[in-house]
Amino acid sequence: MMEQWLESAPSWSNIALFFGLGALLLAVVLAFVTYSILAERKVMGFMQGRIGPNQVGGRFGLLQTVADVLKLLLKEDTIPKAADRPLYVLAPVIAFAPSFMVLAVVPFTDAFRFADLGVGLLYYIAVSGLTIVGVITGGWASNNKYALLGGMRAAAQMISYEIPLVMSALGVVLLAGSMNLVDIVNAQQDVWFLFAQPLAFLIFLIAAVAELNRTPFDLPEAESELVAGFHVEYSGFRWAFFMLAEYVYMFAMAALITVLFLGGWHPVAFLGWIPGAVWFALKFCAVVFVFIWFRATFPRVRADQLMEFAWKVLLPLSLANIVLTAVVKAWFF
Amino acid sequence: MSGTDIAFFLLALAAIAGAVMMLQLTNVVHMVLSLVMTFLAIAGLYVLLSAEFVAVVQVLIYSGAITIIMLFAIMLTRHHADDKERQTTGGVGHKAAAAFAVLAFGLAVYAGIRTLDFGADGSALPADNAKAIGQWLYSYYTIPFEIVSVLLLVALIGAIVLAKKDGKGAEDE
Repeated sequence: MMEQWLESAPSWSNIALFFGLGALLLAVVLAFVTYSILAERKVMGFMQGRIGPNQVGGRFGLLQTVADVLKLLLKEDTIPKAADRPLYVLAPVIAFAPSFMVLAVVPFTDAFRFADLGVGLLYYIAVSGLTIVGVITGGWASNNKYALLGGMRAAAQMISYEIPLVMSALGVVLLAGSMNLVDIVNAQQDVWFLFAQPLAFLIFLIAAVAELNRTPFDLPEAESELVAGFHVEYSGFRWAFFMLAEYVYMFAMAALITVLFLGGWHPVAFLGWIPGAVWFALKFCAVVFVFIWFRATFPRVRADQLMEFAWKVLLPLSLANIVLTAVVKAWFF
Repeated sequence: MSGTDIAFFLLALAAIAGAVMMLQLTNVVHMVLSLVMTFLAIAGLYVLLSAEFVAVVQVLIYSGAITIIMLFAIMLTRHHADDKERQTTGGVGHKAAAAFAVLAFGLAVYAGIRTLDFGADGSALPADNAKAIGQWLYSYYTIPFEIVSVLLLVALIGAIVLAKKDGKGAEDE
């Protein structure tokens, strides 16, 4: 059905339809963000022997995040006097917009997807790289040394880890013979790339956590050294936008890992009677859980360890993985 | 006017506006950000020409490159938010000459491209253009491609050698 809409002639009703679908996806993503924050707090509470939110919205704190967001929206919107006003206002927008744009190429099921792009994987990587411009703009425009340091760290980290991220995904591209995410999922009909490319999966997972600025790689927001990182001066709605971008990226990255390594909407073995959307959601939730688990159990790395790890460990490993994959593909397929 | 035309004019306007802002603004970070606008608009133009691969690579390369430029701009230039930039304004003669030059350049370019034939339109390109580019690059254009990679390698090693020498000199001091 989606396919027909995508290929139909342009008209006003089409624009309305696509706008509606986009808004629907945004609503889904916002719901995800709301409950992933709650899930994060609950899971971390469980792992640390605490209870977590349990007051607002019943025993499980179901309305805790809603209340938090409401509080954020009512907060005073402060702009420091010495800040660069236009860029300070623009930065959260530059940071958030790409995070939602990348979702366009992620195929959720074989029927529900927005764009069937031949260079889908590259599109994701390219557009997600734009967020860093927003982060460093925000850090600079705040005119605060901690914000600037956070922005600088974010830039160094995201550029360094983008390289192993792409290099490890190349192994998958080699095996699937395509950068189209739909083709990549279809190539995993029999064997998930998690099993065909275990090394690539590990590297990708590590680099993905670093790209998401999550513990153990949350140096740009290391509160013990930088107060809060690049968004020190932000408050209220604008701060919420930075946080939103972060969690939408978590959504996008979990979806991308599901698509690249966990076989997307393909079912496990004989359980084909369960619809693809459910399978996608299950795998997706597992990846999100792993992210939260990492956050609760790993200590933060130092800045020099971070850079060394990317350039001296992950990059050579991912290059070796590409060579290995090429050799295996040339000889055995 | 079709949707493509509207998109083209919006993107072209954004690209030119970014370029003009880049020249007009005085703060170096603002300039870098207007450069982002130009590059993104140009990526959009590539999409309109159905060259998706080039468009995506444009964004991929320049988003990293621009971030680095921005870092250098922040680190290597003095930043005083309240510094009033010196305005260099020429006399009426200068302005008139500049206006004349811009107009003449515009007319010359217009005369040059008015009858230019770009050949078949982009829709004739293969739909899978990443694959097509790869096949051309590794069959017909192998030697130039390899030479470019050697050149880049030389540049990389040169940069490392230069940076290393600097470090030793600094230690001696």
